[in-house]
Amino acid sequence: MTPAVQLLAVGAAAPAWRLDAAEVGAAWNRGSRGQAAVCAPDEDVLTLAAEAASRALAASGLQTDIVDGLWWGTTRPPFAEGPSHAVLARAIGLSHRSGGALCSGSPHAGIEALLGAADAIGAGTARVAVVVVSDALVPGNGTPFEARAGAGAAAVVLVSHGGNAMLTERVTRTQPFLDRYRGDGEADTRDLYDPRLFREEIFLPAVRELGEQLVALAGAGAGDKIRAWSLPDPDGRLGSTIAKELGVTTNASAAVYSALGDTGAAAALLGGIGALDTAGTVAIVGTGGGRTTGVMVSVKDPVRGASTIEGVLAGGRPATYAEVLRARGQLVPSGETVQMGVPPQSAQFVRGADEMLGLLGARCVDCGTINTPPSIHPHCISCGSAKFVLEPLARHGRVHTFVVNQTMPAPFVAPLPIAVVDLDDGARVMLQGIGDGSDISIGTEVELVLRRYAHERGVPVYGYKVRPMERP
Amino acid sequence: MSWNRVAVVGAGIIKFGELFEQSYEQMAAGAFAAALDSVDEGFEPTQVEAAFVATQRGTLWGQEGIGGNTIPTAIGLAGIPCTRIENACPSGSDAFRVGAMAVASGVHDVVLVIGVEKMRDKSADEGLLARAAAGHPIFTRGETAPVLFAPFATRHMHEFGTTREMLASVAVKNHHNGSLDPYAHFQNEITIDDVLNSPAVCAPLHLLDCCPQTDGAAAVLLVSAEAAERYTKKPVYVAGFGVATDHPYLHEKTSFTGLKATQLAAERAYAMAGIEPDLIDCAEVHDCFTITEILDIEDLGFVDKGKGGVASLEGDTSLTGRIPINTSGGLLAKGHPIGATGVAQIVECWWQLRGDADERQVETPNGYALQHNVGGRGSGVSVINILTNNAS
Repeated sequence: MTPAVQLLAVGAAAPAWRLDAAEVGAAWNRGSRGQAAVCAPDEDVLTLAAEAASRALAASGLQTDIVDGLWWGTTRPPFAEGPSHAVLARAIGLSHRSGGALCSGSPHAGIEALLGAADAIGAGTARVAVVVVSDALVPGNGTPFEARAGAGAAAVVLVSHGGNAMLTERVTRTQPFLDRYRGDGEADTRDLYDPRLFREEIFLPAVRELGEQLVALAGAGAGDKIRAWSLPDPDGRLGSTIAKELGVTTNASAAVYSALGDTGAAAALLGGIGALDTAGTVAIVGTGGGRTTGVMVSVKDPVRGASTIEGVLAGGRPATYAEVLRARGQLVPSGETVQMGVPPQSAQFVRGADEMLGLLGARCVDCGTINTPPSIHPHCISCGSAKFVLEPLARHGRVHTFVVNQTMPAPFVAPLPIAVVDLDDGARVMLQGIGDGSDISIGTEVELVLRRYAHERGVPVYGYKVRPMERP
Repeated sequence: MSWNRVAVVGAGIIKFGELFEQSYEQMAAGAFAAALDSVDEGFEPTQVEAAFVATQRGTLWGQEGIGGNTIPTAIGLAGIPCTRIENACPSGSDAFRVGAMAVASGVHDVVLVIGVEKMRDKSADEGLLARAAAGHPIFTRGETAPVLFAPFATRHMHEFGTTREMLASVAVKNHHNGSLDPYAHFQNEITIDDVLNSPAVCAPLHLLDCCPQTDGAAAVLLVSAEAAERYTKKPVYVAGFGVATDHPYLHEKTSFTGLKATQLAAERAYAMAGIEPDLIDCAEVHDCFTITEILDIEDLGFVDKGKGGVASLEGDTSLTGRIPINTSGGLLAKGHPIGATGVAQIVECWWQLRGDADERQVETPNGYALQHNVGGRGSGVSVINILTNNAS
């Protein structure tokens, strides 16, 4: 019996770009339909995870520093080996004492993160857990699933009591099949030599068996029928095939796949959390790496944040195939790119990690001026005092002045807006803007969101960027 | 303040441009030879007691270890004292100030100030543009040189109604002046439309709102005022100078309609010279971008704050205007080889005050010319030198 674990709130995030599958099909002489969500150069699995987790935490109404742990599932941690989990935890405001785990290795990692957190709640070692699942697939060029390889993130705040939904059943099936994979040191995800082998011998048998078990559990248990499903759909077709076989009437994940494509380790949760806005039972199935797992969520009343998920899926800027290849690092300029004056493994990053990710300012005790970043301001810029208190900066403000830089060497991508922003707490910052700058002017209301500023020597560098608030 | 008066008795410059065929050392030697040639009564190189050299960025020409000792060997004076001055874009003007102080203090009687910069031995991407990745990994990332000034243009337009045409009029005027200057990098006229239609570099600044990357060198010879008559009957004197710093990061600025470093340096320079801005007959000011000249002429007190754009469009700063600015073509047309720039501006002021500026000659009824640079991260440093042909 699965321990009773409550779902308090959910959140989701989608990247900025949408790739028309037909463009990819045209390049490889193959018919492809639909679209996929793709990260812009300043987005990755961590920025998506941070955005989804922050939304879920905001919907939960909880203070972030009471969270006991972060469970993160992704096939591609931003550091192959390094502080991926710690960076994300700091970026979403968790305390220095928070725990949790990073699950990876296959798209099944998303389900593993959910169950890891659920087990911690069930065992009483955590009372509040954040589960975040995110992925930004990098498919091999010309692979059959390339056109639908997507990106996205979902997050769930789990609690020991007080949520409107609860995890009830879980079933799992494991067999040591090779399906999609990435060899040691390889950048691109590859698949089996024959899509029919995958379909007939791996995917359909595994998901069918799991689905049938869930149906049996739902019927035999509380007598509750499954109201909605999240089913895997790795190629844009298999999802509807398996839904038909199982007699599914509400395939909640279909809308997510059609908007974002396959979101890898994020797919199972991202496909199901939108359905938590209505009472009933939701079945969530994830698969990958030879493992398939299904969980059931029993919804009593709408879960906080569930009604916002649909809105996250909408929108996105159309991107060309060439832009996508460049952003994924699969189309690289000839010659050297300009490297950071401060390499990411150097002391400045050790000194500045907290202030950059926690977005800290130093408020002068004598005159109140906020100095940013603290580490380069031993004395106040206004009065020269050396007495400060550190505090997180406001994440909202208005543009005082700005530029749109069109002329930079690789790896910079123009146009790059840069804005001087007056934050609500009185601090003034200058940060890069998101987008092409056409929606920024003096006085524009903006929020600060985490983005990837650079990716160098294989290492990501994160900081905050300015994003215009969506106009009502 | 008690100091010995200092005279400029020689000044020379090499033709600015993409000097692929010349080494750093050859450029320096060329400028020194031109300065020697300019001395009316003749000057023996061995009379130089000490040299101050301005080079801002040795990294741009591949000799990161450049120091003061590079120049004496290059100009045939190995062994003399020589110190390199690096103070961002005002490096040349600061080397001049430090050289003047060396003479004013009585430590040296004859000082060479030389500015040299190799900008084009590296590609644009590896050169100044590479600063997009320099500095703080977040707070200055993407901050190429135009990013330091374009936000001021955005705000100046917003607060004072300054237009892109007004900005463009600065480039048009300076290119006209450059067309009359045989040493300028660009010697062609341009139109307002040329500027408006040039590609965006960093909105709202377009290509012709920006100075080029230029190789160049310039040199001046300083002596004590008592010794000046040995060298020339038309000496030019140092009337005063001022230096000021400001916060290095843009987000530390309280105003985006003026440059605090310039304002402070100007106060100090005018006080030292004992004059008001209205006595300045002409000025060489830092026009790395069109907006910079507009800020400069306001911050230096030549026009009211907010009126720089209108004044430029209406011709107040042209060769025949109320206060001629950048008669040499400025950084926009003559070029901006960083370490050489300030020294080259001194050369132009010297010519104007001696009546040697040929077609560019302006009236100098008061006998004062001002030279100004501002730069560094966040325009955090400004140096101003005021020259005069008044004997006392």
